[in-house]
Amino acid sequence: MKFNTRELVTLGVFGALWGAVELAFGSILHVMKVPMAGVILTAIGLAIAMIGRLFVCRPGATLFIGIIAALLKLFSLGGVVIWPLLGIVIEALLAEVVLSALRKPSQGAFTMAGAIGVLWTFVHPFVMHGLIMGSGILTVWLRTLDQGSQVLGIDPSAVLWLILALIGLRLGIGAAAGLLAWSVGRSVYARLGRPER
Amino acid sequence: MSTEGRSAEPVRRLVGTVGRLVVFFWSIILLLIAPPNWIPLAVGTWLGVAVLFHPAALRVPFRRRWMLLFGFLIVANLFWVGEPDWNLWGLAVSSEGLMIGLQMVLRAVVVLVAVEGFSNSVDIAEVAGLLERFGLEGLGFSMGVAVNLLPFLRQSSLNAWRSLRMKGGLRRQRWRGLRLLLVNIIGNALCRADEVVLSAEVRAFSPDRSRIILLEIGAFDWLILTVGISSLLALILVR
Repeated sequence: MKFNTRELVTLGVFGALWGAVELAFGSILHVMKVPMAGVILTAIGLAIAMIGRLFVCRPGATLFIGIIAALLKLFSLGGVVIWPLLGIVIEALLAEVVLSALRKPSQGAFTMAGAIGVLWTFVHPFVMHGLIMGSGILTVWLRTLDQGSQVLGIDPSAVLWLILALIGLRLGIGAAAGLLAWSVGRSVYARLGRPER
Repeated sequence: MSTEGRSAEPVRRLVGTVGRLVVFFWSIILLLIAPPNWIPLAVGTWLGVAVLFHPAALRVPFRRRWMLLFGFLIVANLFWVGEPDWNLWGLAVSSEGLMIGLQMVLRAVVVLVAVEGFSNSVDIAEVAGLLERFGLEGLGFSMGVAVNLLPFLRQSSLNAWRSLRMKGGLRRQRWRGLRLLLVNIIGNALCRADEVVLSAEVRAFSPDRSRIILLEIGAFDWLILTVGISSLLALILVR
């Protein structure tokens, strides 16, 4: 990954935007116990990173933005930030893989990258809390079902429907973030008087 | 060597960035791979290392909120995990739950102290410098741009939000309003980025010729790396 000065500054700008969202809203959403706060933050962050990808259309740009945002997260006032920090990098990496695989930026690529990136928020607690922190997969599983049933109003005994709904909700939010990124990115392009993609 | 020559040499600390990074990952991996019955021994070893490398971070788990969380973890496991096989002041509790709760607390303490110790002793610029060596060239420069842009972004976003609010805010056409707000914030940020690019190029900055962020290499870093890796490998083989 080798970028020129303009690309590095642009990546810095989008990294700062994602980092600012994490710093400003991360702690507030968690303190206010907003349901699915992580999903909302990830969707906004990935939308910003994908808009950045429109302006620096090269492999590695989305991951680079994610790494800057993750490093800025170290300034967070909250306690342990290492797990959200890893989450940001992994989400950016997943979006990067999709965008690099599909090569040309398009509405479909953005939608898919957003959906897959946000889907990580479902897997993240199982890996970080279940395996690494030692809470156990079963504990995380039960907590996920409990939270899911509270948010969606589905009976916890309907496990399959609950899990499908949780995954579907994340895919939907991620896809919406991708569509928003595509639409906003093109509008910014037009506003700055650059040729439309 | 003359006295002047010696004083001009950079002062090398005993433990540098690489050493602290090794200690951080060693602490996390040690607890990941230690089997449950080895955890007290692993924690004892880790405690010795923590006292040696970042003693101040050992105060963090004693903060009130963490103590409350740990207490809750132990009590929850004591009553709700495993079969009750023990009587505590007339309450049926589980010794298996107590052991699981203690293990969870020990793991959490190790992670907390490792993160606190690492983030207190290593500068963000050094982390960026380390990542640059793994192929992310220019990360230090981009980080500098990002950190310097944060106050501008805050002010610019506030201005954009206030002007949108004066025109009715998000009361009607919310989706359109949100899009306009984002376009405004990102557009302003990119205009600012143009200024940063211009001033960097006027000063003849080029990522190819930029100064590499120096990593502080301590005298004992390679020893720590060798001991860290070999102790983890030994644990994997023995367990």
